[in-house]
Amino acid sequence: MNLTRIAEIFTGKARPGVSGTDYSQRTKRLVAVFFVVLLVMGLLQAFTPGPFRHFFVDFVLTQSLILGIAASSLIFLSAYGGMISLAQVLMYGMCGFVVGNSVTTLGSKGLKLGLNPWVGVVIGVVVTTFVGFVLGVISSRSSGLYYLMITLSFGVIGTYFFGQVTQLSGFGGVNQVRPPGYIGEPDSATNPERMFYTTLVVAVIVYLLLRYVSRTPFGLTLQGVRDDPVRMNSLGYNVAMHRVWAFTLSAFVASLAGVLYVWEWRSISPTTINLFGIIDLLVIAVIGGILMLEGAWLGAFVFVALENYVRDVLLLNNWIGEDRFRTLVGAVVLVLVLACPDGLVGLRRIRFAIPMSIVGGVVWGTAGGVVIGSGGAISGIIVGAVAGIGFAGLLNLVKEFDWANSMAGSLGKYRLKVSAPRTD
Amino acid sequence: MKLFGKKTVWLKVLTASLVMSLVAAACAAQTETADQALQIANSANSAAAAAQAAADAAAAEARSVQAGAAEMQAAIDVAQAAAILAQSTAEDNEAAVAEAQADLDAANSALADATVAAEKAQMEASAATEEAAAAQERAQAAEMEAEEAAQRAEDAEARAAEAERTAAGTQEIKLAILSDCEGAFGAFHEQDIAGVATAFAEYAGATITNRSKPTDGFTGASVAGVPINLVGIGCADDTAEAAIRETRNLMENLGADIMIGPLSGDESIAVANYAKDHLNQTFINGTAGAQDTTLTVRAPNFFRFNGDGAQWNAGLGDIAKNTLGWETAAVIGDDYSFAWTSMAGFIAEFCAAGGDVISRVFPPLNETNYSGFVEQLPDPDEVDGYFWAVGGAGLIPALKAFEDAKGPVDGSQHIGNLFWGTPGQFEQLGGRVDGAYVGGFGIAGDLKTANANRHMEIITRHFDEIPFGGNPAPASDAHGSGFFLNYHNAAWGLIQALEAVNGDLSNNHEKLRIELSQVVLDGAFGEIRLDENRQAIQDQFVQRIYTDDEGNLAIRTVAFIPAVDQTFGGTFDGDPTPSRDYPACEERDIDWIGNARTVVDGIIQ
Repeated sequence: MNLTRIAEIFTGKARPGVSGTDYSQRTKRLVAVFFVVLLVMGLLQAFTPGPFRHFFVDFVLTQSLILGIAASSLIFLSAYGGMISLAQVLMYGMCGFVVGNSVTTLGSKGLKLGLNPWVGVVIGVVVTTFVGFVLGVISSRSSGLYYLMITLSFGVIGTYFFGQVTQLSGFGGVNQVRPPGYIGEPDSATNPERMFYTTLVVAVIVYLLLRYVSRTPFGLTLQGVRDDPVRMNSLGYNVAMHRVWAFTLSAFVASLAGVLYVWEWRSISPTTINLFGIIDLLVIAVIGGILMLEGAWLGAFVFVALENYVRDVLLLNNWIGEDRFRTLVGAVVLVLVLACPDGLVGLRRIRFAIPMSIVGGVVWGTAGGVVIGSGGAISGIIVGAVAGIGFAGLLNLVKEFDWANSMAGSLGKYRLKVSAPRTD
Repeated sequence: MKLFGKKTVWLKVLTASLVMSLVAAACAAQTETADQALQIANSANSAAAAAQAAADAAAAEARSVQAGAAEMQAAIDVAQAAAILAQSTAEDNEAAVAEAQADLDAANSALADATVAAEKAQMEASAATEEAAAAQERAQAAEMEAEEAAQRAEDAEARAAEAERTAAGTQEIKLAILSDCEGAFGAFHEQDIAGVATAFAEYAGATITNRSKPTDGFTGASVAGVPINLVGIGCADDTAEAAIRETRNLMENLGADIMIGPLSGDESIAVANYAKDHLNQTFINGTAGAQDTTLTVRAPNFFRFNGDGAQWNAGLGDIAKNTLGWETAAVIGDDYSFAWTSMAGFIAEFCAAGGDVISRVFPPLNETNYSGFVEQLPDPDEVDGYFWAVGGAGLIPALKAFEDAKGPVDGSQHIGNLFWGTPGQFEQLGGRVDGAYVGGFGIAGDLKTANANRHMEIITRHFDEIPFGGNPAPASDAHGSGFFLNYHNAAWGLIQALEAVNGDLSNNHEKLRIELSQVVLDGAFGEIRLDENRQAIQDQFVQRIYTDDEGNLAIRTVAFIPAVDQTFGGTFDGDPTPSRDYPACEERDIDWIGNARTVVDGIIQ
């Protein structure tokens, strides 16, 4: 339990590996394994029926990768720039709207320009990156809580902009967005995995790109700006400009997520990027770990899987329906933030957390799989693992908390206050 | 690209081989049946052989009996000869003795011969009997085998039939329902599901799981011998995104063949677009009323057995202009496709009748503070009347905001769309709306016709309670609810079409689609048939709120316009679709203006 650390994280003051242990090498390997597992799953799905049903890969995993890309842009800013941006959802949504308006020919709303899908992608990415640059300039001189607020207002303004400007979308959104031909039509059974592979490739590229950038002189300077902007300024670096470029880069990454989002959903509406959407992306980042790029995809998977299999959680399915999804996700976030503020990627630093989460996941997942089926297994693994982490956190709390002394201490303080008020 | 091109070929080969293996399986099933028949024939042959053997055995037995008789005759002869010999000996007649002796010898040798013959016959007979028994056994075995073979043949036939059905996708029909359990219309969730459940209970033999909680679903439904399983109830929140997410879960994860839903305008546009991309599944609208859904999107596998928002408001503009005498009106409605459609119906007709719309205000759906929007409306002395298309959870806050800003609501200066007349909702409006006219929902709860009475019977037969917004409410309340009615009609139309095609979903539901577009519902409140865009042509009713003798708010049907179509008397063609500034206020010709039939005490005049 580290409340200071939670505060640090949300005001952008925390940085990765503060405890001195550099766990990024190991995490890198884990991420490689994670992506390979996804690749294998995709292959299994393409050639087998059964547990690797199209829905799991086509929707749950694909959607996880897309949201992971969006979350990685948020985590990049927070981990290397100390800026927690709530405008990332607007960035990917905006790209989605631009692509949608550019390429649709049918449907009832939007500009219906009917351009080539690839031209639409270029326009979407360029427009979004440019808007990212402008918003970055506007927000570059604020930090901490104020940065959070200003980017939140960008996000909300964006929602209402696309909701109110019915020429571009309206609240019903843009429909019938066609992806490029190679991804194919959703009803032709010949190529359900192409969207998944496309997303996987983009996710890997984004991950490598952001890792690479964080090691360039620009990335290192950015980390300097995160740790001590005043000193960096006095050393001659343009602090504001570094923040602007970091924000622009994150807007570019988010725009890729936006392109993939409209390809996958074939529609986009302002409700995708409303306050709930903004909070969802933050929740994804917090679940995965807001200080490590790798956490983005982990958090996204947990979020999307819970969202889709919430009705299959064993023991909870009688009173948790899909309308209680946010209750469950809220509980998960609460447990993780209290037991493990660094999110799932920081699990290694919490005593008992990994074995407990494995035990919890295996037990709940197996039981869920036997009783309910694949949905029960997936949701059981997640809920069980989180329960295990929570239990580990509780154990640590009990172990570390010096009950007798703290009780005596607070009583003593109380007595001190009452009997001997300070006179100086 | 080349790689992908190759892969396509590859997958085509895979698909082709799949298809071929399916065909081979079907052939194998046929061959198996032939084999079984051969076996049956064989066993029949062996049974015949056994019968032959039995016959042979019987013949041998007969022969042995004959031989036995001959032996007995010989023995008698011997005995006679012996007797004669004894007599002759007694008479001491030497010659006679010698003759008798010779006779006796001859008789004895004849007896010996006969005995040998009899023994031989006996042996033959027993051998034949044994053979017969063995043959009998063989016959029995063959018979059993034949029975088994027949059983196997039956099984094989059943398998073949099932394989055929599987190929056609109709060994069971998976049904999903999509409704809103959250958002502005979350309160109507139970009414929606109850509508579908009663239809399946009434027309497809389903058993309702819980007579006070429709969302517990139903079991045991079947049409033309094909079971229909409810695989899931989707829970959306009136946003397009949630509707698509839930639809994908229902159709792709739970594998539903047919979905009934969604509830709300923007959702239905998104789902109809989704339907267009998934032609191997069928979608039947729940109660969504956006015009674009069918007039613009026109998905070939999306059907709507209810009117759209404009159709439902037929007759209102006429009443506002010619009965209430409004010259000017202000409209306020949610900023989304259904409310635009709803307002379009009022505006088109009011302006066609010669009225003028001087103000249009659009608060976003799910707004909670309406004061800023109500301020944009003209004051009550600047305009003759207001038309409200604010729906669901927003209606009461919006009216309260109006009262705060503009003073008390005078019922005769306001017209509401369907939400003012929906059970569960209109009771909350309070006495201030006494006398207000209300747009239709294809429904007239007080209509006194055989069909309307039957509708009430169906509801109360299958449910005791249909909760509203989490609170218990008597099932009979749903009689006046268009949410219930439209979901009910959607399910009923589906059942009729499934019956007509014997549950055959083969070839991407081709037969079902043809049949669905031809369904004619003899509905509770008038006949419903579909136009070429698979959109209902429906009778419409205008209603009015009044205070009954006990001082409670009640709804009375006042006008009837038969068979309103989606073009609204030729006003709309799907491009452009209703939006904030469409349709413009201009004079048009709408043929039912001035021709609406009045309804008095639930009887159409």
